[in-house]
Amino acid sequence: MSRSEAVSEVPAKAARVRCFTDELPLLAGVAAVLGGAVLLMAGDNFALNILATTFLMAGLATAWNVIGGFGGQFSLCHGVFFAEGAYLTANGVVHLGLSPWLSLAPAAVLGAVTALAISWPAFRLRGPFFAIATMTFSEVAYVLANYFDSVTGGAQGIRVPYHAGWLNMIFPGRIAYAWIMLGFLCCCLAASLLLLRSRLGYYLQAVRDNEAAAQASGIDVLRTKLLGFAISGGLTAIGGSVFMMYVRVVDPPTLLTLSDVGVRFALIALIGGVGTGYGPLLGALLVVPLEAWLRASVGAYVPGANLIVLGAVLVLAALFFRQGLAGALDRLLARRPGRRGAAAA
Amino acid sequence: MASFAGVLLAGVLLGGIYSLVAIGLNLIFGVIRVVNFAQGEFVMLGMYATVVAYTLLHLDPYLGMLLVFPLLFVFGMAVQRFILQPLQNEPMMQIFATFGMLMLLQNVVLAVTGGTAVSIRTPASGLTIAVGPLQVSVARVVALLAVTVVAVGLQWALHTTMTGKAVRAVAQDRRAARLMGIDVERTYMLTFGFGAGLAGVAGALLTPIFTLTPQIGGNFILPAFAVVVLGGLGSVWGAYIGGFLIGLTEALAGFYLDPALKQAVWFAIFILVLVVRPTGLFGVVGAEEVGLRVQE
Amino acid sequence: MKRRVFLAGTMAAGLVTQARAANPIRIGAINPYSGGPALYGDETTRGYELAAAMRNASGGVLGRQIVIVRGNAATPQEGMAAVEQLSGTVDAFIGTFISAISDAASEAALNNDKLYWETNALATQLTARGLPNFIRSGPDSTDFARVSVQAITDVAAKSLGVAPKDLKVWVQHEDSIYGTTIGKDQVALLRKAGVQVIGPNPYSARSIDQTDIILRARNASPDVWLNTGYTADTNLMLRTARDQGFKPKAIVVTGSADTFETRDSLGKEYLEGILVATFPRADINPSYGPGGAEYLAAYRKAFNRDPIAPQNFTAYTGALILFDAIALAGATDHPKVRQAAATMDKPLGSYPNGFGVKFDDTMQNTRAKPIVGQWQNGVVVTVYPEPAVPLGGKLVALARS
Repeated sequence: MSRSEAVSEVPAKAARVRCFTDELPLLAGVAAVLGGAVLLMAGDNFALNILATTFLMAGLATAWNVIGGFGGQFSLCHGVFFAEGAYLTANGVVHLGLSPWLSLAPAAVLGAVTALAISWPAFRLRGPFFAIATMTFSEVAYVLANYFDSVTGGAQGIRVPYHAGWLNMIFPGRIAYAWIMLGFLCCCLAASLLLLRSRLGYYLQAVRDNEAAAQASGIDVLRTKLLGFAISGGLTAIGGSVFMMYVRVVDPPTLLTLSDVGVRFALIALIGGVGTGYGPLLGALLVVPLEAWLRASVGAYVPGANLIVLGAVLVLAALFFRQGLAGALDRLLARRPGRRGAAAA
Repeated sequence: MASFAGVLLAGVLLGGIYSLVAIGLNLIFGVIRVVNFAQGEFVMLGMYATVVAYTLLHLDPYLGMLLVFPLLFVFGMAVQRFILQPLQNEPMMQIFATFGMLMLLQNVVLAVTGGTAVSIRTPASGLTIAVGPLQVSVARVVALLAVTVVAVGLQWALHTTMTGKAVRAVAQDRRAARLMGIDVERTYMLTFGFGAGLAGVAGALLTPIFTLTPQIGGNFILPAFAVVVLGGLGSVWGAYIGGFLIGLTEALAGFYLDPALKQAVWFAIFILVLVVRPTGLFGVVGAEEVGLRVQE
Repeated sequence: MKRRVFLAGTMAAGLVTQARAANPIRIGAINPYSGGPALYGDETTRGYELAAAMRNASGGVLGRQIVIVRGNAATPQEGMAAVEQLSGTVDAFIGTFISAISDAASEAALNNDKLYWETNALATQLTARGLPNFIRSGPDSTDFARVSVQAITDVAAKSLGVAPKDLKVWVQHEDSIYGTTIGKDQVALLRKAGVQVIGPNPYSARSIDQTDIILRARNASPDVWLNTGYTADTNLMLRTARDQGFKPKAIVVTGSADTFETRDSLGKEYLEGILVATFPRADINPSYGPGGAEYLAAYRKAFNRDPIAPQNFTAYTGALILFDAIALAGATDHPKVRQAAATMDKPLGSYPNGFGVKFDDTMQNTRAKPIVGQWQNGVVVTVYPEPAVPLGGKLVALARS
């Protein structure tokens, strides 16, 4: 966990702590570039679909990164919050006739509250034990989602009927979804950067780097971790809500399969650069299009070939990009004078 | 009454299967502190290797085991040496790499077999013995006996042999062990190899019971993790007894409550135990405190 | 394996070169080709490829050759992606081994204004959605539930010499969408037939031990044990039943356990007499389904082995019905195909596997019937409905010794 070097380096040079306003120009630039990509692809549904999925996964990985990266708590139960958001939105639309837009904030609250409830016992554990405990939470949720069909539709899943319109968050074209996902991503990025440059963010990183030392310097470790987890869970639940409106039909395997959901958020963050602001986005930009391409090309004729390649890429990435893509980019930029630490955010 | 005895028996036999899968995982997890997601796939590889030995060499799985163990032992050593050792100081990346291996192994087997469900019938697979009113599957009894032998043997080896002592020393304090002149990397390789070999043995012993698909490892891995954490880190008996706890819970909940909820029940118990006693039932106090941070 | 890939490759390559000759009809085949269901997804698409190759050999459709393009999707989201990817280059879609994928993919197809022709997915809700581009040529889960109940009321009751109302049936199913929908329908239909029902009893197909549910079933001492699951879990279930000495008078399994994968697991001695509710098989009587032998010969020639599962035969037939509908419509766009398909009226037995064609208002084919087979000496023989029974075929005793 040598991510801290980038953080500690800046104050030494600038003699003040980097704050959120310093991050805004880059954030606006990134949003503009991604928005430009959407405009460029307008009309090509396939590309827009990939972009939308990429933005969604980038947002979810960024949300995971808040607790997994900044806080160093390797959670594998983010699928639970994701599913909650989806089910809440679906129930709101189907049973109460509410606009999905209205369910975003309640979803965030629900996700955050569940995160608190789950993590309170789980934070008695550390490291791999924490990871395994959260993994079982995800499995419990799977079993329960299958069982309590009045809320989740059970195994048959729950579907939102097609009534196109802004208010219903349902659109005939793909481009609107790309914009929505981009909006979600920007929210996650902004929240993540705001946190990274806030007191809580520095506390989280201190707890990650050395829990005992953080405690000794007066940080309430449990409170810090709980808050980080709640924010992360809340953002993830919003992701679940927009995902629901994107696919409009979900069932427990779609929302809670560990390897497709909970683990995937973590993997994307790791491949991009865990604990960095833009790492999860970089990870998603690499992984999602690569997956789509592999699935459509080699995957169609040799069973599983796409996942063989992806598995190999993961192993190699772990071996050769230990700091993720962000770390690699960072090193690349660091070779040029005057640009040190620019991408470390 | 007979049905209660039947359920208990089923739970104990299932517990044997869980212990069998968990014991190799516990060794790896307890000593190297790696969450090996691919352990279930090692079991799956052991199963397929057993089937190959059975089809090509007509080796009964119980003999094929003698071939499968060294095969997976070497495979495990290679994985530790070339994938996990370079990532020694990057625990998150280790998890990442084992997940990549999970995908890789599962889908290589899928590509080779085309996904056909494979079963073999051996003399043991259909055999049952009657104990009073109960029917007992011989293959499951063999698995139970085997895991008992493995647990006793492992416990003995860890406490009496030089290598076993080195393994325990490294598990307790890597830095101190190194200062004592123990080759930590070699110990890790041996441990991982042995853990993978035990997964192979588990696979061989379970082949007469199950229908194999490339995804079967996933059905074992989560209970096995729960067993390890429940039983206690690094405790051979913890994994052994933890298996029976989970097995009995599952069988009782499945029979008396609802088969669809049985997993939720033992998950709940698992989480409860963690809250009350984070070290697990037989773990050394403080063992769970070792985070994902670098040790040295 | 290599041969399979090679064959698939050459078939595809052959189709591609043929296609260049004239403006071909391109059809996207949405199925999972990776992950757990890859085997059956692949087998389903092979049915389309086989049907296309045969139709192309006799001049194609509307004077155009047919090209099947694979769209790989193992999850609903991937189903959407595959449809978006292919929409620009194909004229229509066909699928699917898994209902959830069909659900998402067919909506995406509608967004792209393309026909989605369903041959294999079972969920009733697929047609109930009323999607204008969605047509199902194969049976749905209610058809499967119905035929499995007929296996009890018509086949088993008769063979056991008792009235259906004197039978006690234990109903269990795996707890994903597939087993759940069939299980619920089975319970309702059995109750309607006056049969005593215990169930439904859901179980997880991922569980590595099924002793608990078998002990529950044994304690209930039913006359008939009705199970709906996938291959691996049904195998484990049957093995557990055998180990536990659970011997109901009749065993009926739905939707799986009718392939060599189950025979290898349990052996032909144990399977003897077990009834399976399944898609029509190549052995059906030629007067019921006129193309079983021809299909089998073509499959063996193309893939150099026997079909893995009857899903292939149904997919093959479904593709043939699609080609007829396109020929009748004179086009591939979904309003015209729908209009043409709605006018089709072919009696049962018009197609190779015994299907006829008559769509209801939701564009569900009402003349696509699954059958009941029985394990006899290591092979599944069609035993119901009566006209489908092959020459010389007959029901053997159901009872376990």
